[in-house]
Amino acid sequence: MTERRNGEGLPQDKAMTNSIGAGSPEDVGQGVGEASELAEEATVGAGRRESGKTSFPAFDTHHPPDKALIDECVHCGFCLPTCPTYVLFGEEMDSPRGRIYLMNKGLEEEPLNDQMVRHFDLCLGCMACVTACPAGVQYEKLIEATRAQVERRYERSPEDKAFREMIFNLFPYPNRLRLAAAPMKLYQRFGIGSRLRKAGIMDRLPARVRAMEALLPEVPKEEKIPETTPPAGEKRRRVGILTGCVQRVFFSRVNAATVRVLAAEGCEVVAPAGQGCCGALSTHAGREEESLNFARKTIDTFEEYDLDNVIVNAAGCGSTMKEYGHLLRDDPEYAERAKEFSAKVKDVTEFLQELGPVAERHPLPVSVAYHDACHLAHAQGIRSQPRQSLKQIPGMDVREIREAEICCGSAGIYNMVEPEAASELGERKAKNVLAAGAQMLVTANPGCTLQIRASLKKLGQDMPMAHPVEVVDASLRGEPVETLLQR
Amino acid sequence: MERTQLISTMESILGPEGVIHEREQLRTYECDGLMNYRVIPDLVVLPESAGQVQQIVRVCYEEGIPFVARGSGTGLSGGALPVESGILIVLARMRRILDVDIPNQRVTVEPGVVNLWVTQEVASEGYFYAPDPSSQLVSSIGGNFAENSGGVHCLKYGFTTNHVTGAEVVLPDGSVAHIGGGKAPDEPGYDLLGAFVGSEGTLGIATKITLRIVRTPESVRTLIAAFEDTEKAGGAVSGIIGSGCVPAGIEMMDSLTLEAVEEAVHPHYPECGALLLVELDGPEAEVENQFEQVIKICEENGSSEIRVAKDDAERALFWKGRKAAFGAMGRIANDYYVQDGVIPRTELPAVLKKISDLSAEYGLRVANVFHAGDGNLHPLVLYDNNNEGEAERAEELAGEIIRACLEHGGSLTGEHGIGEDKKKYMPDMFTADDLNVMQLLRCAFDPHHLCNPGKVFPTPRLCAERPGPFRVHPLQEAGLAEMF
Amino acid sequence: MQTANVSLEDLQGIVGEEHAREAAPEDAVDGATPSFVAEPGSVEEIAGLLKLASGAGLAVAPRGGGTKMHLGNPPRNLDLIVSTARMNGVLEHAAPDQVLRVQAGIGLEGLQERLSASNQMLAIDPPERGATVGGVVATNASGPLRLRYGTIRDLIIGITVVLPDGTVAKAGGKVVKNVAGYDLGKLFTGSLGTLGIIAEANFRLHPIPEVAKTVVVELESQQGAAEAAQAIMHSQIVPSAVELRWGPSGKRLAVLVESIPGGIGAKAETAAFLLKPFGEVHTEDGRAEILRLPEAGENETIVKITAPPAELAGVLESVSRAAERRGLEVRMWGHAASGVTFAGLSGGGVEALADFVGEMREIRARRGGSVTLQRASVELKRRAGAWGYGGDALGLMRRVKEKFDPSGTMNPGRFVGGI
Repeated sequence: MTERRNGEGLPQDKAMTNSIGAGSPEDVGQGVGEASELAEEATVGAGRRESGKTSFPAFDTHHPPDKALIDECVHCGFCLPTCPTYVLFGEEMDSPRGRIYLMNKGLEEEPLNDQMVRHFDLCLGCMACVTACPAGVQYEKLIEATRAQVERRYERSPEDKAFREMIFNLFPYPNRLRLAAAPMKLYQRFGIGSRLRKAGIMDRLPARVRAMEALLPEVPKEEKIPETTPPAGEKRRRVGILTGCVQRVFFSRVNAATVRVLAAEGCEVVAPAGQGCCGALSTHAGREEESLNFARKTIDTFEEYDLDNVIVNAAGCGSTMKEYGHLLRDDPEYAERAKEFSAKVKDVTEFLQELGPVAERHPLPVSVAYHDACHLAHAQGIRSQPRQSLKQIPGMDVREIREAEICCGSAGIYNMVEPEAASELGERKAKNVLAAGAQMLVTANPGCTLQIRASLKKLGQDMPMAHPVEVVDASLRGEPVETLLQR
Repeated sequence: MERTQLISTMESILGPEGVIHEREQLRTYECDGLMNYRVIPDLVVLPESAGQVQQIVRVCYEEGIPFVARGSGTGLSGGALPVESGILIVLARMRRILDVDIPNQRVTVEPGVVNLWVTQEVASEGYFYAPDPSSQLVSSIGGNFAENSGGVHCLKYGFTTNHVTGAEVVLPDGSVAHIGGGKAPDEPGYDLLGAFVGSEGTLGIATKITLRIVRTPESVRTLIAAFEDTEKAGGAVSGIIGSGCVPAGIEMMDSLTLEAVEEAVHPHYPECGALLLVELDGPEAEVENQFEQVIKICEENGSSEIRVAKDDAERALFWKGRKAAFGAMGRIANDYYVQDGVIPRTELPAVLKKISDLSAEYGLRVANVFHAGDGNLHPLVLYDNNNEGEAERAEELAGEIIRACLEHGGSLTGEHGIGEDKKKYMPDMFTADDLNVMQLLRCAFDPHHLCNPGKVFPTPRLCAERPGPFRVHPLQEAGLAEMF
Repeated sequence: MQTANVSLEDLQGIVGEEHAREAAPEDAVDGATPSFVAEPGSVEEIAGLLKLASGAGLAVAPRGGGTKMHLGNPPRNLDLIVSTARMNGVLEHAAPDQVLRVQAGIGLEGLQERLSASNQMLAIDPPERGATVGGVVATNASGPLRLRYGTIRDLIIGITVVLPDGTVAKAGGKVVKNVAGYDLGKLFTGSLGTLGIIAEANFRLHPIPEVAKTVVVELESQQGAAEAAQAIMHSQIVPSAVELRWGPSGKRLAVLVESIPGGIGAKAETAAFLLKPFGEVHTEDGRAEILRLPEAGENETIVKITAPPAELAGVLESVSRAAERRGLEVRMWGHAASGVTFAGLSGGGVEALADFVGEMREIRARRGGSVTLQRASVELKRRAGAWGYGGDALGLMRRVKEKFDPSGTMNPGRFVGGI
């Protein structure tokens, strides 16, 4: 199985050597066989990285998936066609309906074992099902509770554990991430390769590490932003801005644009220097303690400033920060504060539309395909605001992408821990993006940008990409279209 | 055959990725859209081609293993409920659109293709696939085919059976037959296709299905009209139909349903006791004239508010509430039991009154949402499974409702099928002779009762197989032609 | 007279003395003369007759209006004709529900007239005058309106049948939407009396359109005929019929549009506009005479060719050529947007006709469709077979026949594959 995944039937070591020597991300993913072939392997096939460990009962009493929420599912199946894994695999267990069913079985009588965990792991957490669900099942709460249980109660196989540790020691920390993404190869720098080789558990790793490499672009020069930026004209709001982890390292220009646009619209913008990770990645992976600590720290940091709103320009971060109230509900010291904090959190386009535009938009005659980031569209229900923000620019032709509701495969750390499934989804998305025939792609999440760019590359394609706020910024500054298309 | 041997046989046909045999995984297949009945299948198999389906069925036939086909698992009568010690054949991976033939107005698909995909595929050519069950964005064509699915537009456009023109089917003995002319009409011989559509998966498994697509109408006009109660709304329905107009759809929702959908998808319907959703389509001039007529009839019947959809977005919003109605019940109740009775349109007031009386008598809420144009009721009996005995009472109440439909000259089911759920009521609608004669057809197709056994009919008829040419081993099937 | 061990008295004992008689020469079917004709007056009497007949090993042919007795292969045996002539009542016409229940022997024309009083119709218009509703169902007869309303299988919603062993069974019901149980109504549609006798049938009705116009184009070529039909098929005017007439007396395509007064003008104008490129166009009010289907000539052989509708030009061309090569005179007509073409052939012997049919069947076997003999001499039918079914479901059809009619009582030998 590994041989097939690594392509051309190469022995593992050779494949590994190839990947180490891979000069550019284009080399990655050539081992990807027939889409469906991969899909099925990833799910029902035998030979996965399984620990063989079981815990019974499946869940303990600390926030198991809520039976009342589970009962709201009427099994109608409306979620199936929007679920990326169901789209790929066509299996009930890899659909929201099936996962909820498994959770229920876990509550009732079944143990938490490899199979169950596998199907929970495969969920991208894109929340497209939440949008599709007519019964209003709060799947996001269910899967988060389940993931926390899995992380706590299920013992992962050593290589799986090591890889996840590596990710969580890297991505939430911009400085480490900046170093890691520098020209030297990731696992060389961290010595993971040799460590795992010793442990004799190399089989799964290469695909994941290669996927990670393929995703991460060169680190651009950081555009620094001042801690405080005064408003242009009369002050309408005082807002804080989350600069993020991936965003700060790879897309510092998005942060800079965000600050300029907010200021232009009359906001005093504060970028707290002491801020760290918001905890989104950890939350979505069920790393409860870690995520709560990140949340507490973020609240502490922003509370020091007297802010009307906290503005976020990364969809995944925003959706988690809006959930702090729920996440910290058990913490007497933070519960109330978290609720208040969450109420202030706004996505940048959401905020701009609420505020109402005042600054003059200069024309940008360009066609853009707008990609809904799952954590914006599904998790936060923000669909019209970014489109509206774009359409307010004279000359802008905003186009829709087919299968807009289906995740691009980025999904937090998903494209690193489940590279096969993610790669298929990425390719599917890339094709749909190309079919829209626009001059550039606009999306509001750094993960999506990285994923779609990598997927386009695999198809031998590339296209300019920008965050909606960058486009607004370009319009406000009267930049020519050409400059925008160089992104 | 031992289970392990069966697994390896199936794996040799499908590869390991096409066979599900772990208990937890199998459990997610133990019910379809109707959760009241659950059976864990022995195995779930996921074929990707007609050839694989044929091989699976052949193994089942030779080993005497019962099997059940399943598409997206959205059926509401337990038609895809697995059988004990049986195989569940899931067709969700057979989802290719094989042929789009606009000049002949036909599309050929595999059974796992989702209903809505067909329309999406041909929309740019100005065509659509007319049968549109509320589940159309998830239910599969194979499932629609087995259940003869209706939809909100079937009053004008007909049901699945009127839109399927050909099929490749794997028969319960593993042989393959092509039934219906496909692109050419009036194939000589028995209308086996007509008999097969709606047979609820008891006659075989369709592996290719040819569908008729319909030209998109020039104009579509949609309105919602609010009424004080269902009786007044019912009066408007009779008036519209009586005027000689055949609307593309007339849907009615009562206040309880409106409450649920408002909460679920916020269609911002007017507050009222009953809401009608009326859609007309066709050539512009015709629709314009008839639409005015419809508005007049609604007003004459006391509608308190009429809203006409201004654009596609508003039209979509009107429909969104209706199409999400079942799922939305999760907002106001833990569990619901939906009925699918049909009555002659004119009996509507009497039957609704009866339902309301029954609801009071049983102390359970009943929400009504229905295809008013064709008299297809969907009373949703709301209950809470966590309350001792409530599920049983709900089912009993549902049974009373269905009997009321039959008493008023109606049918047990308009589109959900009999399946597992309603077979116990079949003797209320049909005589023993009726059911026996229907099962003659079953015996011709599936004499050994391997294909979705135990569904539709309360008591299976023994096929009294006689020795002779009609009971050949499938391996001799090739010589069949000679025998005649 | 006595056949096997059944006497006229036995039959009269079931249906009454005046309703059973010995057969006359005009009762013969494709040269096979039955012994008796019985006219039952109730479902029970049909059951009695069939039970008796199947028990005694008689061969039974059901008969309605007798307009299509020539359809199908010559009977293998024929002892008794069961006529539904007396079962000609309307059981229920629920006008507000647009639903009709009738006995099978009711004449279609009379029925339509009766329904028209409520502004309703059974939306089927087969050409034969004198046909009964049961006969229309059994032979799956249709006419121009099938384009808009479908064939009788699309209109039947319930059926009561009597099986050869006397079992009376019903399926469906009297509501338009109904999926309870198997759809025996469709199974019996077009089964040519080989499974049992249709005693009663239920239908959905349609409102009679208020106004109609017929738009006719004088065609110049076969290709033009096909393209004109395609232009109408893919338009949004929702035509009720698209009829082709192709012969020495003219080459025309007629489009029937129906609507309300406020809608008819636009439909007809659009049709005329679409047809203009293919020849001279004129529009008539109402359902024009041209839509009436031609009647068969004295010795005319009528062959029905079905094909994917987009292949119309190919069908016209291949029929013309094949006829010409064999010295046959041919005229054609058909439901151009439905893929049904009839060829009326004359002036040739059995040899030439059989050859012609063989060639057409060979083409359709490759390209989809069928070639059946609608009206032909017994000799030609014996030679070429009436049906020419070449599919792979014959075994299945035989099993169906075996289950419903194990004694082989009903219309033996007349159907596909000798069923």
